[in-house]
Amino acid sequence: MSVLKLDNVSKHFGGVIAAEKVDIEVPAGQITGLIGPNGAGKTTIVNMITGMLPVTGGTISVAGNDITRAAAHEICRAGLARTFQNIRLLPEASVIDNIMVGFHRHEHSSTLAALLGLGSANRETRDMRDRAMALLDRFGMAGLAAYPAGGLSYGHQRKVEMMRALASDPQFILLDEPIAGMNDVESDALAEIFQGFAGSGKGVLLIEHNVRFVSRLCNRVYVLDGGRLICEGTPEQVLNDPAVITAYLGG
Amino acid sequence: MSQLIAGYLPLFDLYLLHLGLAFSQYIVLRAGVFSLASAALAGIGAYTAGIFAVKLGAHPLLGLTAGTLTGMLAALFLSIPLARLRGVYQAIATVAFIQIVVSLNIYSEGLTGGAMGLNGIPKSVGTGSLLIAAAAVTYLVWAIERNRLGRAFNAIRQDEAVAASLGISITWHQSLAFAISGALAGLFGGLQAYHSYALDPNQFGFHLLITILSYVILGGRNSVLGPLIGTAILIILPELARPLAANRMVIYGAMLIVVINYLPKGIADTVIQQVRDRRLRLSGGAS
Repeated sequence: MSVLKLDNVSKHFGGVIAAEKVDIEVPAGQITGLIGPNGAGKTTIVNMITGMLPVTGGTISVAGNDITRAAAHEICRAGLARTFQNIRLLPEASVIDNIMVGFHRHEHSSTLAALLGLGSANRETRDMRDRAMALLDRFGMAGLAAYPAGGLSYGHQRKVEMMRALASDPQFILLDEPIAGMNDVESDALAEIFQGFAGSGKGVLLIEHNVRFVSRLCNRVYVLDGGRLICEGTPEQVLNDPAVITAYLGG
Repeated sequence: MSQLIAGYLPLFDLYLLHLGLAFSQYIVLRAGVFSLASAALAGIGAYTAGIFAVKLGAHPLLGLTAGTLTGMLAALFLSIPLARLRGVYQAIATVAFIQIVVSLNIYSEGLTGGAMGLNGIPKSVGTGSLLIAAAAVTYLVWAIERNRLGRAFNAIRQDEAVAASLGISITWHQSLAFAISGALAGLFGGLQAYHSYALDPNQFGFHLLITILSYVILGGRNSVLGPLIGTAILIILPELARPLAANRMVIYGAMLIVVINYLPKGIADTVIQQVRDRRLRLSGGAS
């Protein structure tokens, strides 16, 4: 069984400890939760996994391959995809173009073919467009394909970002606060999508504020506070842990 | 009638030459590199081609190939330090590069003719050759725009972190854009050398930088039509008002200020966007 594994991972910004000796395992086919109050270091963890922040100590591996020091674009090729806490789409580009960028990992036409506009490169573009359209259909957004992504509603932008992450066909998806600012109907729809990911054998790391949402979806939950893991276990165990209650409600 | 056309032929030649340089500038901006080095790279290509013809008596095709390759190699070399810089720092570094190339051309008198310039280059390039080269370059840029390279360039330009998270190698793509930019500048520098009998080192200085940049800013940075339109307007405009032709740079400067304020995306991109928005509004209203 393939696992995304953080082993003793630390991150220091000068004297500030953003993460200290964190051990997390994200197994394939399950949704794993990572919760914690503001400033607990959740996004720092995601940024370290995806290669956007250098790791101070410890190792990160995907299915046994060490990716601790790999560059961000290599980590994507190892089968990891993410969404961003503050949505980051290409605002000038249309919805479908945003999703097509996500297929980059699967584009194999030669550079020369791409430069000269040869048939193989053009076929590839058509093929990617069809696959992006299929994704849009699945998410019920086919009608918005041609619209500039920057003008969409918040909920739609979130979905586009998710489709883009999905386009790279990752083994593991890291979702950084995916339902922030959404109402219950919207977040329920996304919950179904996340369960679909896990059902199709992908590993999901769900970073959230919303404890109720996490406990409903996750098999296992990690709680971070001040850069340290203070608790881990099933949602019931974690929610009844005194240290977690103190961290969330104040001591 | 034929006399009228013949009268405007030099202007058309100038358009084709500068179109290649405009595309050289366009392609790096497209990939999110704020490089202004095209003027210097054109100088390198022009002098290489010129020296090949004057000192070695080489065939023009060989000289053009040499100019293209040196332009590309110089660009690749420059891309190494530039990969560590971003935004305005890249612009400053490339302006410095232009000064270095101009100075080198002035000081290495034995090879380049120094401040006197390189003279007596046989003219072997006419409107026909320029037209072929310009058409080929336009096709190249258009092809890039339509496939995976264009998509990767777009992603990098708009958000590097997102591009990297999707598996796009920023260094590799920006170096590629740089190599293309250098090759285009080198080729059109070489064409200029074989078109105009003589080269002057200051011809490839700050003046040319502003000129090339104006074409792309005025025309538009994200569509192959941008440089085509921008270059045409800025070449023709001063000729329409003849007395102004001597003050070309004043016009360019004034136009840049107006365009940056009122058409920040350039003419072509603004029109394309308006057409698209209108089509979306109409189709949205129908369904």
